Amino acid sequence: MIVDVNFVGLIIASIMASAVPLILASCGELITERSGVLNLGVEGMMIIGAISGFALMTVTGSLIIAVFGAMLAGVLISTIFAFLTQTLITNHVATGLALTIFGIGISAMIGKNFVGIPGKEFPVLFEGLKDTIPLLSPILFGHSIVFYFAFALPFITSYFLKKTKIGLIVRAVGDSPESASNQGINVRFVRYACILYGGAMCGLAGAYLSMIYTPQWIENMTGGRGWIALALVVFSTWNPIKILIGAMIFGGLTIIQFHMQAIGVRIPVQFLTALPYIVTIIVLVVISRDSRKIRLSTPSSLGKSFHKDN
Amino acid sequence: MNTNLKISNVTKIYPGCIANDNVSLEFNSGKIYALLGENGAGKSTLVKILSGVVIPDEGKIYLNKNILKLNSPSDAKKNDIGMVFQHFNLFETLSVFENLIIDSDEQRENLKEKIDTIMKKYNFSVDLDVPVLNLSAGQKQKVEIIRCLIRSPKVLIMDEPTSVLTEQETSELFLSLKKFSEEGILIIYITHKLKEVMQLCDEVAVMRRGKLVSVSQINNENIESLANKMVGQDLKTIKKKKENTSSEQLIKITNLNFTSEDPFETNLVDINFSLNRGECLGIAGISGNGQSELFQVLSGEIISNKNSIEFNKNFIGDLNPQERREYLMAFSPEDRLEQAAIPQMAIFENVALNNFKSSNFFNNGLINESKIKEHSKKIISEFNVNTDNIDLKSQFLSGGNLQKLIIGRELITSPDLLICFNPTWGLDVGAINYIHETLIKINEQNKSIILISTDTDELLKLSDKISVIHRGKLSKIMNAEDVTSEKLGILMGGGN
Repeated sequence: MIVDVNFVGLIIASIMASAVPLILASCGELITERSGVLNLGVEGMMIIGAISGFALMTVTGSLIIAVFGAMLAGVLISTIFAFLTQTLITNHVATGLALTIFGIGISAMIGKNFVGIPGKEFPVLFEGLKDTIPLLSPILFGHSIVFYFAFALPFITSYFLKKTKIGLIVRAVGDSPESASNQGINVRFVRYACILYGGAMCGLAGAYLSMIYTPQWIENMTGGRGWIALALVVFSTWNPIKILIGAMIFGGLTIIQFHMQAIGVRIPVQFLTALPYIVTIIVLVVISRDSRKIRLSTPSSLGKSFHKDN
Repeated sequence: MNTNLKISNVTKIYPGCIANDNVSLEFNSGKIYALLGENGAGKSTLVKILSGVVIPDEGKIYLNKNILKLNSPSDAKKNDIGMVFQHFNLFETLSVFENLIIDSDEQRENLKEKIDTIMKKYNFSVDLDVPVLNLSAGQKQKVEIIRCLIRSPKVLIMDEPTSVLTEQETSELFLSLKKFSEEGILIIYITHKLKEVMQLCDEVAVMRRGKLVSVSQINNENIESLANKMVGQDLKTIKKKKENTSSEQLIKITNLNFTSEDPFETNLVDINFSLNRGECLGIAGISGNGQSELFQVLSGEIISNKNSIEFNKNFIGDLNPQERREYLMAFSPEDRLEQAAIPQMAIFENVALNNFKSSNFFNNGLINESKIKEHSKKIISEFNVNTDNIDLKSQFLSGGNLQKLIIGRELITSPDLLICFNPTWGLDVGAINYIHETLIKINEQNKSIILISTDTDELLKLSDKISVIHRGKLSKIMNAEDVTSEKLGILMGGGN
């Protein structure tokens, strides 16, 4: 069998493309969790983003309105979560699960009228450079702006958390909301902001799915990616760079096992389908074994309600 | 530059308790003021009001004759009031420098310079780049103090600062505080330790049950007079009678080791000691030097080599706490609400948790409630727990009452050995006295105690033998009469 270099490049590019929604949603959730809030509604926020993006694109015809509208929809639905958990001090886990159920339900309802409608072509960047370098060109060029943003995001997130004052405040709130509050930091405001940011990123991840990755609306089209994104955050021990690695392994194995199924490798299909989940978790657990580092990067107050009392 | 801080008619009412009842006080810079009182006397509420954490229901606060509006901690900061809380307000997983820069508006470089100057001036040494969780309690406190000093405060409030410090660290702290005071910072020192007030302060205000009882010059007071004001009645001083203890060995620990996988726990290295009937062995040390691991190994929460613990001629190193209780051991862990009792459960249910073989608390898997309640009532009356409602959730008991209940629950089975860890931590003078009396009494009944404590005075008062734990190693066992608190302090710091 002759392997075409450009074909390998295309496979890598498709792996990266499948990792994009995971990276976006995970990096958003990472910021939320770093502030001490556990939002299990990632799947729900993604699917809301997916339907909002697709619907706005169909109705307005504007891709820009659609993308930003999807992010706004993510923000809006996460505002419900923020209001419940931060203002009414409800339980994070229960509220997050409810958010996911709510999101899946309402997206199916809105989406009824959009089933079967073809999507629009999303513009790609650097298309002219596509054939310049063998192997690398398909990887580097000819992708949507969201694609490039997603691969920059882990590094931006890492820089934000480590080097900026606001990032420091986010980590401080996640470490000890009591101390932060006594230092005069408005814990509730910081947590609201982090939840809303997480919502925006999940909305964008959903829009990527319905507008760029598979440009159409299918009910329940996120297909559990939100849960994978959540798992990536935990198993990467709240490290954005490791999220990138995890998302690539997961995306890679998903694509490769499709090809293996297509070629007809004699391994049970169920095992192949399960492979990405198993391997991603094993790899992340192995690279995150240092318990000292885990302790330092785990938000100590994760999932605990903070109630300022007088 | 003189600073004058005035509290005028401050009242704060919580549901069911008046924390501050019309309190008025005046402070001037150049002096160190003590605010003295038992737990629950209202000191903490008052300083929380001064630091903007709690807003008073009534009353005003003046700084240099100007009225202060303290609605949040940042208001206090803006008005140059610095505060070091008893429970540190630090971010454990952030580095020291990150902890300091987070509430400062200065540039990195400027701040670093400022911190260096402060550290040099007062002889502090703290590594700025390590995460706070790697620091000792004394160092953490220094970080808190540096954080206040960066803002050049006019007022510095210290809330029970020595509860986690060693003898040496305490005297270092006192030197620094005196230096701050000479430089014109007004110092308010909150404590329930009388000795420290006498050592450090110029003036003392005593609070009791939310009210201000007295304000006086330290020269006109002594430890007894202050204690009586604080408690509101004459305290009898208790002392252990030195009796001839028997020479019958009760427990012997041989080459006990514990290696933890958690890097934040301390490994125990070659622990060896033995204890006779009727004796109390005190184990001193700065917290975090292996006390909690030692307690867990002794109580059976961590199981060790069978032969490493010999109790009453049985080898029991591999038994769990329940099984050890059958051999007449009893345990009172450090954290009353986390380890010793379940806060959401009623008193009698907590009593039933200590289910010993002869108890008959359970018949064929069913709870024998009347039996348990009867037993609970007995504990409550014998051990002076101040409640008659055994259906009360244990979280609503005060620390002192809860500790009495726990000690009572352990002692009512008449064990041969009681192992307790910081039994009087955070309790007020009255409750401490009661617990101490109880511990002395069981020694007199020829029963033994292993007392792991960070309170040196308590250890010297109750122990027959004392050892110091430092980084998981025990010092040699000393006779309590030959030991002074200075000597303990040196051993606790790792010296010889």
